[in-house]
Amino acid sequence: MKKKIIAVTPKKMKKPLLKKISRINLEGQIRLLTRDLNVIKRQLKRGVSREKLSKEKFRGEVTQGVNREKLGADREKQGADRERLGADREKQGANREKLGAGRERLAEEQFRLQTDEIELKDGQLREGADREKLAEEQIHIRTKAMEATFDGIFIIDALKPDFPIIYANPSFYHLTGFTKNEVIGKNYFLLYGVVDNLHALEEIKQALLQGRSFQGELLNSKKNGEKFWSLLRITLVRDKNGTVTHYVGNKTDTTLMKQRNLEIEEQREELLHVTRVGKLAEFVSSLAHEISQPLTAILSYAQAAQRMLKDREPQLQEVLQYIINDDQRAAEVIRRLRYLLKKSKPTFELLDINTLIKDTITLMMPHITAKNKVIKFESGSNLPSIQGDRIQLQQVLLNLISNSLEAMESSNDSRELVISTCLKDAGTIMVKVKDSGCGIPEENKLKLFGHFFTSKPDGLGMGLSISRSIVEAHGGRLEAENNPDRGATFYFTVPVYMKKGQ
Amino acid sequence: MNTSIIYIVDDDASICKATSLLLRSNGFIVEPFVQASDFLAFKHLKMPACLLLDIRLPNINGFALQDIMAQQGIIIPIIFMTGYGDIPMSVKAMKAGAVDFLPKPFTEKKLIDAITLALSKSKVQNKKQAEVAKIKQRVDTLSPRELEVFHFVAQGMMNKNIASKRGTSLQTIKVHRGRVMQKMQAKTVTELIHLAQKAGITSATV
Repeated sequence: MKKKIIAVTPKKMKKPLLKKISRINLEGQIRLLTRDLNVIKRQLKRGVSREKLSKEKFRGEVTQGVNREKLGADREKQGADRERLGADREKQGANREKLGAGRERLAEEQFRLQTDEIELKDGQLREGADREKLAEEQIHIRTKAMEATFDGIFIIDALKPDFPIIYANPSFYHLTGFTKNEVIGKNYFLLYGVVDNLHALEEIKQALLQGRSFQGELLNSKKNGEKFWSLLRITLVRDKNGTVTHYVGNKTDTTLMKQRNLEIEEQREELLHVTRVGKLAEFVSSLAHEISQPLTAILSYAQAAQRMLKDREPQLQEVLQYIINDDQRAAEVIRRLRYLLKKSKPTFELLDINTLIKDTITLMMPHITAKNKVIKFESGSNLPSIQGDRIQLQQVLLNLISNSLEAMESSNDSRELVISTCLKDAGTIMVKVKDSGCGIPEENKLKLFGHFFTSKPDGLGMGLSISRSIVEAHGGRLEAENNPDRGATFYFTVPVYMKKGQ
Repeated sequence: MNTSIIYIVDDDASICKATSLLLRSNGFIVEPFVQASDFLAFKHLKMPACLLLDIRLPNINGFALQDIMAQQGIIIPIIFMTGYGDIPMSVKAMKAGAVDFLPKPFTEKKLIDAITLALSKSKVQNKKQAEVAKIKQRVDTLSPRELEVFHFVAQGMMNKNIASKRGTSLQTIKVHRGRVMQKMQAKTVTELIHLAQKAGITSATV
């Protein structure tokens, strides 16, 4: 726009300038003409004076003839003067004509200029209309975009003292449950009720006061009281002087996302709980075995002694009976404990091993990323279904992944954990968990899957033994070996599900 | 009772010792082993026997030993013992032919009851085994041609069929058959077929 104005300006200035020039010309010409007239008047006066003089001379010294001649000459002269005057007049007329022509030219020029100006203005008008149309289109598209987004968008007038909302898109109404009438003109914070978000409110105020934009997750209430989580971003709109004129708010409903995260977390917790309970049950089971062995021996010894003392030493018999009774009491305590922690009966269902692994990886992802490790899943294609207990098999995977992560913990350059599935033979699927960690020391290889064997300072030594018993309960095998380069690979097999009669 | 032997396989030496003591005080002959391989290497005596077998054992576990015994034709009733008294395991053990399943610790009464049952089973098995051995002895006395005819008869073939298959006269077959009946101590053809079944000669091996 500015550029155009600059281009136009000289033309605009032409008009008064030319006017001025032509007026000066006219004045000058008039002045010239007036001067000419004065000259003629003077000459005429001079002619009269001469006549008078010659008349006196005639009267005084010479003949009438001479006087007449003189007079004739004078008259001639007068005629010539008259002629000159006529010529002057003609000249004056010509000048006038010239002046007229000048005026015409001037007018023409002015006309041309004005036409130009009109055309220019017309052009500007047309251009303006186009631009307006374009702007309208842009506004239309942008409004549509604002209406289409799922984010709630609102604009606050920052220049008014109570910071009213002056615009809100449909998603905002949808998100909050408020209607247009309840929103427009209202202060944003009053809309929600301050009490809910006192802390967040303070944070937002601080940010805006310091001229910063704000971003944060808040728990809001809808009009009907329903709570929802939202990610709120407030950005500042400044004019060219830097004054904040508006605040633009952008509200994303994160309830579902939060819910999903929560669900994943819950699932993982559940699995960890199952694992812990499983570990405890396995632990108690092992403990029970270890204790029941000597209890069995004690019981047998006592009963053998009773048999040997048959019908003799009644007091000793009584003491032996006490030993037998208390032995059985101890056995009963163990039985009850084991019953209490009895592993839930595995529920076998048809499973897709790849889906199972993907689900488990999803559950483990936060741990994997937290440890700055990378997990890769190379899933074998077209694998047949297996039959198994989802939770138990997930436990095995969880255990193997955790172990691998721990094996790689100490080293920063060993980061990759690869899980792969394949068909070992027509009836067996093989799952491999390969790490690039410290590997298995030779002396631990045989003890690896035993109860209470652990290489970790705070380990129970149950993880791998439980995993192995789960895999074996599924009809498979769990083995481990060191990789040729670095780290170890744990692999287990599970039989493919066969339909009856196959 | 004195003629029975009880084998014990448990990796816990204390249990072997205590159980042996208890059973001996009950008048049994006892042979304890702390590992399965020792038991397998033992020259078994021809008398009613039973095996008290722990499920959890190093190297060869209880179930594996059960399989090996079946493969090697060692027919001794098994009573499983375990410190992990879970039901699926006991079901598995019973299905595999165990006589009983004793969760540790077990009382003398339970142990003796189980052993009594196992030994009576062992006696029946031994009797059967002795019978089979006797039949097999008789089979061993048959000439190759007689054995051939015995097989055909066991399959239910008529004399004339056997004759045409063998390419010999009906009379020759009748003579062979008469000798088979005599050597096998069978009075009727039905009895002969029974003996063949007991000796495991029912399928065509010719």
